[in-house]
Amino acid sequence: MRPPRARPYVDGMNDATDPPPVLVELDRLRKEYGDTTALDDVSLTIRRGEALAVMGPSGSGKSTMLNMIAGLDRPTSGTVTVDGKEIGGLDETGRSLFRRRTISMIFQFFNLLDDLTVLDNVALAAQLAGARAPQARKRALDLLDELGIADRRDLYPATLSGGERQRAAVARALVNRPALLLADEPTGALDSQAGEQVMDLLIDLNQIGQTLLIVTHDPNLAVRCAGRIVEFADGRIVGERTLERAS
Amino acid sequence: MSAVWSVVRAAVRRRRFQTLAIALVVLFSSATAVAALALLAASSEPFDRVFAEQRSAHVTVTFDAALASDADVAATAGLEGVSAAAGPFGQIATVLELPGEHGVQLPVTIAGRDDPGGPVDRVDLREGRWAEAPGEIVLSSAFADQGSSASPFQVGTDLTASDGTGFTVVGFASSFGRTAGAWVTADQMAAMGPTATQMLYRLTEHETDADIDEALAAITAAVPADAFTGAQSYLALKEDVSAELGIFLVLLTVFGILGLAVAVLIVANVVGGAVVSGLRHIGILKALGFTPRQVVLVYLAMVSLPALAGAAIGTVLGHLLATGVMADTFRDAGLGSPTVSPWADAAAFAGMPLLVVLAALAPALRAHRLSAAEAISAGGAPRSGRGLRVQRRLSGTPLPRSVSLGLGLPFARPGRTALTAAAVVLGVTTATFTAGLAAFATEVDAMIQRHEAAEVEVLGGPGGPAAESGTALGDRETEALLAGMEDVSNVTANLRMPVSALGFAKTPTLWFIRGDSSDMGFDEQLVDGRWLGAPGEAVVSSKLVHQNGVEPGDEITLELDGRTATVSVVGVVMGSGTGTVYTDWGILTGLAPDVEGLGQPIVYEVALESGTDPAAFLAAVEDEGLFGQTTRQSDATGIAVVALATAFALMLGAVAALGVFNTVALDARERRRDLAMLKSIGMTPRQVEAMMVTSMAALGVIGGLAGIGLGVLAHRQVMRLAAAASQIDMPDSLLRTWNAPLLVLLALAGLAIAVAGAYLPARRAARLTIAEALRSE
Repeated sequence: MRPPRARPYVDGMNDATDPPPVLVELDRLRKEYGDTTALDDVSLTIRRGEALAVMGPSGSGKSTMLNMIAGLDRPTSGTVTVDGKEIGGLDETGRSLFRRRTISMIFQFFNLLDDLTVLDNVALAAQLAGARAPQARKRALDLLDELGIADRRDLYPATLSGGERQRAAVARALVNRPALLLADEPTGALDSQAGEQVMDLLIDLNQIGQTLLIVTHDPNLAVRCAGRIVEFADGRIVGERTLERAS
Repeated sequence: MSAVWSVVRAAVRRRRFQTLAIALVVLFSSATAVAALALLAASSEPFDRVFAEQRSAHVTVTFDAALASDADVAATAGLEGVSAAAGPFGQIATVLELPGEHGVQLPVTIAGRDDPGGPVDRVDLREGRWAEAPGEIVLSSAFADQGSSASPFQVGTDLTASDGTGFTVVGFASSFGRTAGAWVTADQMAAMGPTATQMLYRLTEHETDADIDEALAAITAAVPADAFTGAQSYLALKEDVSAELGIFLVLLTVFGILGLAVAVLIVANVVGGAVVSGLRHIGILKALGFTPRQVVLVYLAMVSLPALAGAAIGTVLGHLLATGVMADTFRDAGLGSPTVSPWADAAAFAGMPLLVVLAALAPALRAHRLSAAEAISAGGAPRSGRGLRVQRRLSGTPLPRSVSLGLGLPFARPGRTALTAAAVVLGVTTATFTAGLAAFATEVDAMIQRHEAAEVEVLGGPGGPAAESGTALGDRETEALLAGMEDVSNVTANLRMPVSALGFAKTPTLWFIRGDSSDMGFDEQLVDGRWLGAPGEAVVSSKLVHQNGVEPGDEITLELDGRTATVSVVGVVMGSGTGTVYTDWGILTGLAPDVEGLGQPIVYEVALESGTDPAAFLAAVEDEGLFGQTTRQSDATGIAVVALATAFALMLGAVAALGVFNTVALDARERRRDLAMLKSIGMTPRQVEAMMVTSMAALGVIGGLAGIGLGVLAHRQVMRLAAAASQIDMPDSLLRTWNAPLLVLLALAGLAIAVAGAYLPARRAARLTIAEALRSE
């Protein structure tokens, strides 16, 4: 197993004394489902190039927060600003376009389309963003090559291993070069070896400047991949720690 | 409460959308099935049914009232071979006139009857009441469009007979045996001085013409010599009715079968889909310890409950609908008022839930065989080799991705797609068939009545209505008068009467035509040869070709009162279903030098200058003391059948759209997770909608095209079949009722069915909450 590494807060393009700009800003975010308060007065910022892990027990509100940032759900009150855009005021179509251009997600259970090959699954996101089929496929193939599963491009998801599926899902998430990559329990459905591979992949992505927000139960994943860890309980942030930066 | 029942109740409540879909589909299908079965039952041997209902006469005999007393005629009721009789009823032929400057004239035979019922000819009183006092008259419903405010005859209308007797219309009635055109009380008839006496008989032996002739001989022998003046056999009536209705009965039967087919297809599709979509649930039940038998029971009960509710409501609605529609259709066609038979209700109410159970049984038994793990994994999105290949090819096309994804969806569930497509195809086939039928009904009516060529016909001559009122002009004077009138471009005269033809089993009707008939619309009816061009030539109706094997080039020898004449057949026209020979007036004068002495009415067909208003011309004709009418008569049977066909097409279209609705709803449910994922990577709600609608729109276009092909083919075949049943040949132009705009419109019908069915579930899918869908999976 590779040792835990602290992540750089900024990419190489920025002056070390100049903090990177804020990519995500949650301001007094509150979400209620009937009588249940899922998020209670949550404020948080994520800067460009940062890798943030959100931890907490089930029902603590971490996935709700992730859904708010992804525009999958609307806050009851408070604001969510991503890449300078307040997404709470966007309608359904606006939020779809926002997701297409700004963020990507990877899920615990991959959520690949069973009817499409690996290549088509990855190309699909690019095509939805307006790329023509040949361009989309070329970009998809390049990414699959970088992630080491180009030889699996013509297979269907059902025939891949868990690790390969998650790599394909990561490729799909990256094909539109998102500003923010959201990962919801990305290693939760994988065996330890496949989980390690995905962790390495996330680390590598962050090293080249990809902003990450990882929701996880797994302290190992959080410590290895993130530079900052935020703890949730009962819909509130109850703790935060910054990991030592590697020299 | 048993575990099975608890699970069934919970499933029905939780899957409200699916439960509602099954109930709705079964409701519509049951209603369609009741209507279809009732239609099939009513269309089967309608003559015999109505004949039995009204206890119509096997033979209607008229006697000279001056030669046979009522007692003489009444005594014939006791003759051997007569099983029942009604009469004697006084009878008179007269013309009823509406008061007013241009009053409508109605030539009619009136019978004096105190009671519409009785042992024979139970007249169907359709509106108002029977005549009870002098001055009251009941008209045959054939003379008036009931309920139509445009009809000049209504209950309460005052009329005057030729002898000056005044009447008030108190009702409308229909005699299936066509025994009279109007009825008054016996006292009223006695006061008017009947010229004939009518007696109606039902016979113990009545199967053949010989049976009827034998009975007539006995009746004739039982009354004073020469008192017998005429008889009408029910066999001739039956032939007439079959010729008139044969074509429509075939059509009604086709609609009945189409209705049943669509209902069965949709139910199978909906229920099969419901069980397949529940496979994961089945796996979970098995994992909990439900036995395979219990699982099957859960699923059968889950679909049967809404099916039973839908079938109950649908049967009641179908019964009401069929009763209303059939009452109008069959009554307008003179076929009485058939009721919806109880077995149609019972078959739909029991049959549809049974069909539901059978449709559910196959996938439920599959679930029975699957292990819990297999069932759970089978409950995900479908996989199909062909579907995958199609998706792969579509992904490389330049189409918008939401469209190409939608186009590939139907291939994932080929069985469900095939059933949905079949329903769309049948829906469009029905619409195409109906459009063809409507066009056919209009064109055949125009062709037979020739109202494009001869807009007006005037009745005259010694047997015409004016002669009855004693104001007759002579034949030539009438023709000259009409020819000299303003706006007249051509006048022909024709006398129609039965004349024996040597070698013919049945006496044909001869049309002796005078004047230039080349442009009077007969040539459009030609199916072989040409129209009359020289003296001594004849054209025959296609019925005669079938009955007697007559062809162009043959000769026919006609015989009237000992005189004979030979005509050469030069052509065959479609005709209206009777054996008719058209020839020139010269043949008539050869057979009967004293034409006026024949006492037959003469019909003057008048072609008007373009732009002339026939109604204004008719008013001018009536000012001259003549009786005229437009040839553009409304075809009640045709209108009723087209209305019925349209109602059926709309109903089947709705059921097909419901099938599409269900398919998209099931697809959206099964692909809930995929849809959420697509939205999560940026697919907009509009794109989701487009994808789901596209998945069915393509099916609609393909189904539409196939449906048009099938509809056109079915229309041609059924028309030919119906024509063959009526022994009529049709000109090909009648079958070319299709044109490009109509076909485009029909192709859009498939698309409309698909889009209408897909739109709501597609919208619902587009509004799917991503976080919820992903979390719930």
